Amino acid sequence: MRHLLAFLCILICSGWGNSAGADGFSAPARRVITLDWGVAETLVALGAPPVGVPDIKGYADWVADPPLPPGTVNLGSRFEPNLELIRSLKPDLIILIPFQSGLEPLLRRIAPTLTLSVHQGVGQPYAAAQEATRTLGRLVGREAEAEALILRTDATLADSRARFSAAPPPPVLVAAVADAHHLWVFGQGSLYGDLLMRLGLRNGWTDPVSDWGFSAVGADRLAGAGDSSFVTLRPLPPDFETGLTQSPLWNALPFVQARRVHVLPPVLMFGMLPSSARFATLLADALVPR
Amino acid sequence: MTLRVPPPLRPALLCLLLFTATAGMGSLALHPLLEDSRPLAEILLWQGAVPRLVSAVICGYALGLSGALFQHILRNRLASPDTVGAAGGAQLALALALLFAPGLLTEGRFAVAFAGSAAAVAAVLALSWRRRLDPMPLILSGLIITLYTGAVSAALILVNDGYLASLFLWGSGSLVQTDWSLPQTLTPLVAVCGLLAWALLRPLSLLDLGDDAARSLGVPLTLIRLAALTLAVTLSAAVVAKAGVLGFVGLAGPALAYVSGARTLRQSLLWSPLLATGLLALTDQSVAVAGRFVPDLLPTGAATAVFGAPLILMLVRTLRSHPAQITTPGTPARSRLPTRHPGRWLLALGGITLLLVLTALTVGRGAEGWTLALGDDFSDLLPWRLPRVLAAAAAGLMLALAGTMLQRLTGNPLAGPEVLGVTSGAAMGMLISLYAFPAATGGTSTGFAALGALGVLLALLWLNRRDGGSTDRILLAGIAVGALFDALTSILTADGDPRAVALLNWTMGSTYRVDMPDALLTGGIALALAAVTPLCIRWLDLLPLGPEGARSLGLNLQAVRLRLLVLTAALSAAATLVIGPLSFIGLMAPHLARLPGLLSARTQLAGAALSGAGLMLAADWISRVAVFPFQIPAGLTATLIGAPLVLLLISRE
Repeated sequence: MRHLLAFLCILICSGWGNSAGADGFSAPARRVITLDWGVAETLVALGAPPVGVPDIKGYADWVADPPLPPGTVNLGSRFEPNLELIRSLKPDLIILIPFQSGLEPLLRRIAPTLTLSVHQGVGQPYAAAQEATRTLGRLVGREAEAEALILRTDATLADSRARFSAAPPPPVLVAAVADAHHLWVFGQGSLYGDLLMRLGLRNGWTDPVSDWGFSAVGADRLAGAGDSSFVTLRPLPPDFETGLTQSPLWNALPFVQARRVHVLPPVLMFGMLPSSARFATLLADALVPR
Repeated sequence: MTLRVPPPLRPALLCLLLFTATAGMGSLALHPLLEDSRPLAEILLWQGAVPRLVSAVICGYALGLSGALFQHILRNRLASPDTVGAAGGAQLALALALLFAPGLLTEGRFAVAFAGSAAAVAAVLALSWRRRLDPMPLILSGLIITLYTGAVSAALILVNDGYLASLFLWGSGSLVQTDWSLPQTLTPLVAVCGLLAWALLRPLSLLDLGDDAARSLGVPLTLIRLAALTLAVTLSAAVVAKAGVLGFVGLAGPALAYVSGARTLRQSLLWSPLLATGLLALTDQSVAVAGRFVPDLLPTGAATAVFGAPLILMLVRTLRSHPAQITTPGTPARSRLPTRHPGRWLLALGGITLLLVLTALTVGRGAEGWTLALGDDFSDLLPWRLPRVLAAAAAGLMLALAGTMLQRLTGNPLAGPEVLGVTSGAAMGMLISLYAFPAATGGTSTGFAALGALGVLLALLWLNRRDGGSTDRILLAGIAVGALFDALTSILTADGDPRAVALLNWTMGSTYRVDMPDALLTGGIALALAAVTPLCIRWLDLLPLGPEGARSLGLNLQAVRLRLLVLTAALSAAATLVIGPLSFIGLMAPHLARLPGLLSARTQLAGAALSGAGLMLAADWISRVAVFPFQIPAGLTATLIGAPLVLLLISRE
């Protein structure tokens, strides 16, 4: 019910009623542009890849899989995508996320524009991603594929969950390395945090985090989560190898001593269902190898 | 009963106070670790908390000493690593290295920081050389160089958002440690620099006698000054390299020493570093304690920078404008001759501007390469390109007018609306609305920006009343507001919040979001304000004659200054709403107009307005096509093109 309300809110806020109307979204969209990588990976997974995505190199570095089809047009930055280019692609639907909502008045002049909220102020990104996937399926005329993706992802999560329950591992601390002395830790409300809970794992980070579900902290604060397994994701800054992992404090941390440090391939921290499935599988492979 | 403390002991007492407070706060910070008997707690204590405290002590000492040396050599109570460009230069050099030559940073971190720092300080000295290192222009140059280096660092972050967040973190200055590497590297360096500074005590003290007297005593003036400057730059560059920018500690140390009664160089060299140490350690330990209760990282550097603005304001009141007793050899300033054909030059500038408008409207890049939009394409693209063109030109024009007025009003070639703080005030309003009302529309943030600009303007006017209108002071106060804005931004962005990038785009002067109503409104305001400027021409012609000259010709200085300030503030606030607080157009355009000899107020205003509009148009177009499909904020492009040009112009005059 809460999600339904949230979704209605999104519809109202994005001005669905007046801008799009019956003609805007009634027919399935064929040429979709999204300014968010999480939406992009979902569209690729639904078999209806977007015609344009911002910062394609960034997508390859931070999302990696599923890859964008070769002909996808690079729209520039996620914060100021190239408007003339978007216009020349003649999209019939543009999808944003809330922090890009400032662009909406501009983009609405090109095509019907919709803002989907998965990570901001929702608190349970996984459920929000499921709901957003259904919406996307309906918009591009792939309802069946959307349901299949939801079921498939649930199944992947259930599979990993089963692997964990066979040999319950310690809590998991998910962090991204900022520099030699600082990290971002992912707590409740982040996609990683939500997934840990759904996988039957305890989150190693129990302190409060920002509204976005993560916080920047000094490396000394990791000691509070010493009995966890430490999980970080690529891409890593050079300071990880040359700075952080060389320091006595890092090497004294219990999870380092017990060799419970795992570096996973990239998984988008603001991703949707494909990222969730990927995280569940990669985490299970790292913590309980088959 | 009043306790009388003999003057020589006052700095010591203040020091004792700070150290006691630090010890108190430190024991609060360390308490959980000391209670803990696990072996990990011992490591956290000896490899984390203790090195952090020691690092704060060393960095504070280095910055305090650096500040004291800068202040003595430049005879300027506002001099410090943060106000003469040393910290900003080091930061920019390190950011450049991180992005383009990360290999350099593993071994040559300090060398990179030192090179950047030295280059920035050299630029500041070169700029103020002509005014004989007069304290106020010197600090003004220093702060402008600092703003410039900050703008370029921000641009690097923007075009490279993968590394973004760690640059934010580092830029805001955190003293979290995981080993003893910072104390190990810095202790020998600071010790050597400290000893050398004490060794220079006698010759440096002789500088107080004045250059001629010192020279007659056989002091190699240039050598001594250069040596002391090198020490000061080395100290601050080392701190920036290892800990990031710890804003205004180097200013606060000597200031506290002076306020508590340290007057001689010996006293200053003794107490400034110790007081800076106490201040930084106290701040950092407080941040460490507070960090336990808030989810977000509190960067120590940003916390110290918050002191910076009030500190500058306080010190400005003690500062008198007088040239340092430093004899600058060299040729007298060559005065430019007015052109005989201002009409032709203005016509040419107008032609160029028109050509730029046509280019911006027709030439672009698409998925298939360069395109020339004519006919139907032209009318299709017009609704997209015209608002940008209009807004860029209008903003450029307004900033140019504001800059010309400020430069004539202050007689300072480095004055500009960016320096007035009005633009920073608008930016702060925007920032508050962005974070306090995330769902707010463009209208709300524009309202907040206008309120911010108005707030700063009122503060400046109030200051103007109290100080009887010293314009240099108003500019310094404006810069203090700018520094406060920087500090606030780095606190808010340290966490890597995506909103930070949106904000950064706007502060760098992006015309991206402008739509037709915005553009028309901006254009209308620009026309209305430009229509008022002809009324000021007589004042602007008389003001460069100096206060006495202007007064003798019947000018009511106080009233004229007030009116010009109001007009300038209105112009800059309107422009800021469109292209953000940092574009430097207002600084550059008046110089571009002087280049062909448009010197009278009337022709300079007209020439600057056309150059400002043209520069902004060119910058906006280049930003759109240069790194396609990405874009660079137009204000930033304008800065990158124009600033080196201006530096060249100023140094040649």
